[in-house]
Amino acid sequence: MKVYVNDTPVDILPGMTVKHALIYAGLLKDREFLKKVYDEWGNEIGLDGALSEGAKIYVK
Amino acid sequence: MRKTSIVFFFILFFVIFAPFIYADQTEIRILYVNDFHGFAEPYKPFGSDEMYGGIVYLSARVNSLRKEKVSLLLSAGDMIQSNNWANLSQGESVIELMNTMRFDAMVIGNHEFDFGQDVLKKRISETKFPVLGANVEGLDMLKPFVIKELNGIKAAIIGIVTEDTPVSTHPRNISGLKFLSSESIAEKYVKELKNKADIIIILSHIGHHADRILAEKVKGIDVIVGGHSHTKVEKPVSVGNTLIVQAWEHAKALGVLDLTVKDGKIVKFDGYLDKIKPDAGKEDRVVLKIVDKYKQKVDSVLNEKIGEADIDLDGENVRKMETNLGNIVADVMRHASGADVAIINGGTIRTSIKKGDVKVKNVYSVLPFDNYIVAIRLTGKQIKEALEHGVSAIEEGAGRFPQVSGLSFQYKKSAKAGERINEILIADKPIDPAKEYIVATNDFLAAGGDDYKVFGEAIKASRDFPIIGGVMKGEKVIYSDSGRWLRDVVIEYIKEKKRIVPTVEGRITEIQ
Repeated sequence: MKVYVNDTPVDILPGMTVKHALIYAGLLKDREFLKKVYDEWGNEIGLDGALSEGAKIYVK
Repeated sequence: MRKTSIVFFFILFFVIFAPFIYADQTEIRILYVNDFHGFAEPYKPFGSDEMYGGIVYLSARVNSLRKEKVSLLLSAGDMIQSNNWANLSQGESVIELMNTMRFDAMVIGNHEFDFGQDVLKKRISETKFPVLGANVEGLDMLKPFVIKELNGIKAAIIGIVTEDTPVSTHPRNISGLKFLSSESIAEKYVKELKNKADIIIILSHIGHHADRILAEKVKGIDVIVGGHSHTKVEKPVSVGNTLIVQAWEHAKALGVLDLTVKDGKIVKFDGYLDKIKPDAGKEDRVVLKIVDKYKQKVDSVLNEKIGEADIDLDGENVRKMETNLGNIVADVMRHASGADVAIINGGTIRTSIKKGDVKVKNVYSVLPFDNYIVAIRLTGKQIKEALEHGVSAIEEGAGRFPQVSGLSFQYKKSAKAGERINEILIADKPIDPAKEYIVATNDFLAAGGDDYKVFGEAIKASRDFPIIGGVMKGEKVIYSDSGRWLRDVVIEYIKEKKRIVPTVEGRITEIQ
């Protein structure tokens, strides 16, 4: 399943979450995280939130 | 004087005639939560210095808001699994809580299936509210919809869960069930109910993105109360004539949506998220008793003896050498997934267990992260790459150092990183670079954690993930059980074995 983190495509398994997309993108190292994640409409989303094919998320 | 008289008569007119003007207009309130996942107690989320959540405070807010207006309390799913407070009673704690809070309805979430169908049926039988799942075929206890009447307004509530449920739980948990198209099922029930209800609410566990698509495609839905994507929708979103809401996660917010209904139409709405934070003295005391009761049970379960270790189990040296504890964890992963080999990062294992009684809490300390098992097809060449990566930063004591099962290898620390692996044996035979092997790992590495890239490459190569017979059939992905934490699988293994005597077997050998 392809999703986009800060407009960069990443491939994760179906059923994986925001957390996994950030790990793949190298943005969630050492299990520490001090930023917030938003969907393409600007809503904040939780790290355990489900993603769907083509979802775009942004770390700010 | 004349001005005063005009104002007086205007007020008099309003007082006398207002009840007639607004007689056919009714106000109702929808209170909603989603993705609670058993987070009964407040906690500090990543990136926050503040504590959020606490079901005792959320419940108190519900009580207060209910006094203002006739209300529905709805849950958009994923309530009973994840946090220890829920997991260690297999969700019983959450159902008792929801009954006490007088929920009006919930939709089943994908994680409600994680304890298996027998447990799920027991949990549903304990509820004092309907559990909805219109697009789930094969589980008769789920109702497709419920109609609730508030101040004369009939609200039809239809439950829809994600069609991706089979890819996010163990295949046996959804055996015999079918997850039908949320759009076509929503359309069917909206048509069926539009003349039987004043407003139609979809209680959805399909995620915010899918909620928007549903609102675009299926006409006649008044409100979608969503879950699954853990989205913090601060204000109701309008898509066509449909309002979409969602209340974040983990009881960190309570959703409030006020509707004014006239002639079967919503003529006015106002909504917001009520952020929930600890506020001493404002707890719901009744709910507090339930939270405390199950906290004590959690402590009791954590102290439960599950077996005995005849020797110390080494979790200290997992970042630099093979250890007996690393072997156990890797073995459990390989056996649970039916893989040929298992590779995990030593950093997954955080501490040791002393010789003697092994308790649940010991395993929780060893494996504190919410990791689950994934098995992926890798070629022999990719396995070598993974192991090369694993030993590439041994000098730094990096967490990437591997613990393995089903294979053995030699490495030379003095060689250049990337050229350290000398020999790899799988089932006592030299690894075949071209052959594919099934490799068990955890979701952290599968997503590229600790810079393990090969798993991600394999996932990328697995072009699609069709669901056949209710099970995901990825080209490269063999197993993925996000509903059961690795630590719980290890606990089951130790319970079954009772005595464990793991040894260091020469799976990983440093050569000069």
